Amino acid sequence: MDILQRLRAQAEQVEVFHIQSESTQVRFEANSLKASQVEEISGLAVRVVKDGRMGFAASSDVTATEKLLANALESAAYGDPTPFTFPGPQDAPDVACYDPRIAELSISRLVEIGQEIMAYLREVDPEGMVSVELRRGMERYTLRNHTGAEVAVTRTPLTIACGVDRVKGDDVLMVYDVQGATLWNEGFMAPVQRLAEKLRLAQQVVPLRAGRMPVLFSPLGAIVLGFPLMLGLSGKNVVKGVSPLAGRCGEQVFDPRLTLVDDATLPGGFGSAAYDDEGVPHQRTVLVENGVLRGFYYDLKTAARAGVPSTGNGSRGLFSQPDPAPTNLLWGAGETPLADMLAGIEEGLWVENVLGLGQGNIISGAFSNPLALGFKIEKGQIVGRVKGVSIAGNVYELLRHVSAVSRETEWVYQNFNQPYVLLEEMNVIARE
Amino acid sequence: MHDRILAALESSTADYTEIRLEEKEATAVAFRGRELETVSHVIDAGGIVRCLCRDGGWGIATFNNRDALVEKVAQAVQCARAARSDTPIELAPIPIAQDRLTVTLERDFRGVPLAEKKALVEGYNAVLLGASDRIVDTACRYNDSFSRVTFASSEGAFIEEERPMVVMYFVATARDGDNVQQAHESYSRLAGYEIVQGLESLAETAAQRATALLRAESVVGGRYPVIIDPRLAGVFIHEAFGHLSEADFLYENPAAREMMTLGRRFGPDFLTVFDDGSLPGLRGTHKYDDEGTPTRRNDLIRNGILVGRLHSRETAAKMGETPTGNARAVNYRYAPIVRMTNTAIAPGTTSFADMLQDIELGIYACDAYGGTTELESFSFSSGYAYMIRHGQLAEMVKDVILAGNLFTTLQNIDAIGDDFQWSHPGGGCGKGGQAPLPVGMGAPHVRIQNVVIGGK
Repeated sequence: MDILQRLRAQAEQVEVFHIQSESTQVRFEANSLKASQVEEISGLAVRVVKDGRMGFAASSDVTATEKLLANALESAAYGDPTPFTFPGPQDAPDVACYDPRIAELSISRLVEIGQEIMAYLREVDPEGMVSVELRRGMERYTLRNHTGAEVAVTRTPLTIACGVDRVKGDDVLMVYDVQGATLWNEGFMAPVQRLAEKLRLAQQVVPLRAGRMPVLFSPLGAIVLGFPLMLGLSGKNVVKGVSPLAGRCGEQVFDPRLTLVDDATLPGGFGSAAYDDEGVPHQRTVLVENGVLRGFYYDLKTAARAGVPSTGNGSRGLFSQPDPAPTNLLWGAGETPLADMLAGIEEGLWVENVLGLGQGNIISGAFSNPLALGFKIEKGQIVGRVKGVSIAGNVYELLRHVSAVSRETEWVYQNFNQPYVLLEEMNVIARE
Repeated sequence: MHDRILAALESSTADYTEIRLEEKEATAVAFRGRELETVSHVIDAGGIVRCLCRDGGWGIATFNNRDALVEKVAQAVQCARAARSDTPIELAPIPIAQDRLTVTLERDFRGVPLAEKKALVEGYNAVLLGASDRIVDTACRYNDSFSRVTFASSEGAFIEEERPMVVMYFVATARDGDNVQQAHESYSRLAGYEIVQGLESLAETAAQRATALLRAESVVGGRYPVIIDPRLAGVFIHEAFGHLSEADFLYENPAAREMMTLGRRFGPDFLTVFDDGSLPGLRGTHKYDDEGTPTRRNDLIRNGILVGRLHSRETAAKMGETPTGNARAVNYRYAPIVRMTNTAIAPGTTSFADMLQDIELGIYACDAYGGTTELESFSFSSGYAYMIRHGQLAEMVKDVILAGNLFTTLQNIDAIGDDFQWSHPGGGCGKGGQAPLPVGMGAPHVRIQNVVIGGK
């Protein structure tokens, strides 16, 4: 008998999640093609609610169904009362996240793309060590529950990561970029060219005087500001009472230039799909609008606790229960061209990348990070790379007043779309 | 399975082939706040075939379905032929082992009912929640796993190993208005259920510290003499120095090799650093690494001088050195890469009291909340810290982040304690997407002059 029906006979609610995915990956290390890899992933995860209590079990051995059933029911015997019900059949928007051009990318084509990226970066920095990693995947999952809901999602995530390490004496420079999408994009070299530009600018090392100065965050650097917000906007941290944003919906908590949207329906986004991992239709969720807090992102459980509907942000791996997670997180573009933002800076710091992202007490909004890569701005121009520089602050204070947000935005870390952000004054720590 | 593995190896046309199969069963019980978040029981079974073609490269196939090993070998060979390494990849020779390693647990967690595990965690969670009315959130988590790993290679190695692991994590979050503070504690061993019983005082410590941090002021940024406690010193030497000793970073990078030339002075005469995967009872301990190389003690810095590094068979061959038993994989989804096992700063001769007494104004930084390095640069946030004033420990401070340059920081070590200890935290090390890999860390108290402390 089908696993869903068997469990249904013994429990009030049942959900069966079945993953069947494969991927191909090629890896260039230290300027040469080192390895290629194929991966096959299959597994089953079940959630059951029996006597109002939730149980969970999973297995990557799809033949071990007897044990899976027993484990799920045993786990339910000790589970906590469940505040929600699995959703019934629902229509979802059409979301483009499958592309046969990615599905059919062969190892040899991946190798060609990797070689093109590597050749480009080597020409810019013949002394550097280039690494490139490409991974194309075909992700399939089906989700069925006791209501008769049945959801099937097929996605083709493509990841392109590249980096250059350059060591000169005791000076180490590392630059890195990772892009992801689910639709094929011919413009895959654009982020590589941007990375190359950073490498050129980093050739020259210049001193920076510590103190208060304007700080311009690039889209990659702005993640240091966006990351604490991402945690603060999680419905889980809100219902647990640890988010500084809890209970402040409708308040002007940030500068009016700040808008944050989670959009799982974006065509080709790395986090895009028609449904989330609990069978809830995906949507576009406005989190912050012109600085006013509008809401949070939730999965079924945290939404039930908060007394609101799920925003379709349930995210899970095979071996873990869902948790709320952003899908494609977009920081809205501003009105100022980047060139104008730069031109107005007499002396300041450009933050490109930090060390230790997410370390420390970031739920409070506090961050303190040395820069992995930063530039000095003088009279509206980048004049060179700075070393031994750290920044610290609290995003809930800093983002109350933003000097400018750029018209341009870029994708960083696969599913974050961010602008350049200028803060008028921040304390910059520099080691002489 | 033994015969099927041998038949699959036999079918390979690559220069070298290895198969690693893993079957793991794991249970987890987690409370968050007053809520039981997880009671779960999972089965993870799968494998990896890794092939080397000397004129190509590495080819890898990973899978859950272990019925089609011959086909997986063929896929991996195809991948290996697609790669084109500029210079041929060689593997340094190792003694070929055939071994069967079983463990006897004092109290086997596989036989402990879920009800008992839940009651244990619930009890600890009550300790966290009950410590103060300022505690607004907790994370209290128990995990165990028992893996059977089979490794076989075309060179004739055949090693079967049982790997148990049990861990308890405590996180307490205290809040006073906008002021939110967290404290963590954890304990883990490659052992049975008995080691996670009776940890109430560890839970209490986490909760008390989170509450105390609410009253702590942010540290004033600047340069200070700093004493780091054994736990932070262990994390520091692992993160800031250990990763540079991993030869996969060096072996194809002439400039990096120069930076890490053996014989270079890295610190004072009394500084010795080693990695040892063969010590019994530690989290990073294995008899063999995931290429079948026996583990051993490897000195990295001896009396201040760089004397060694950590290798896989590939990096050792490339650098003309000997494999050190440091090729490790977090699970069957990954090929082994060069990793640390149990890394430590060897004990010195200074007492903690002597370290303190000549510091007029300094910082005592304890435990690591997180740490990252980008080669010469590192950054660590300490879990908690105290000011040192006039040779004595003074008030608690928060937001203490140590940042600096590895080379100058090691040179600035001016005292190493006589109070060495191994720590046994949960969690693990991350590298190349492989995390968490269980590792051991050990150190005594260490005093460093002129450390940059970030603060507000």
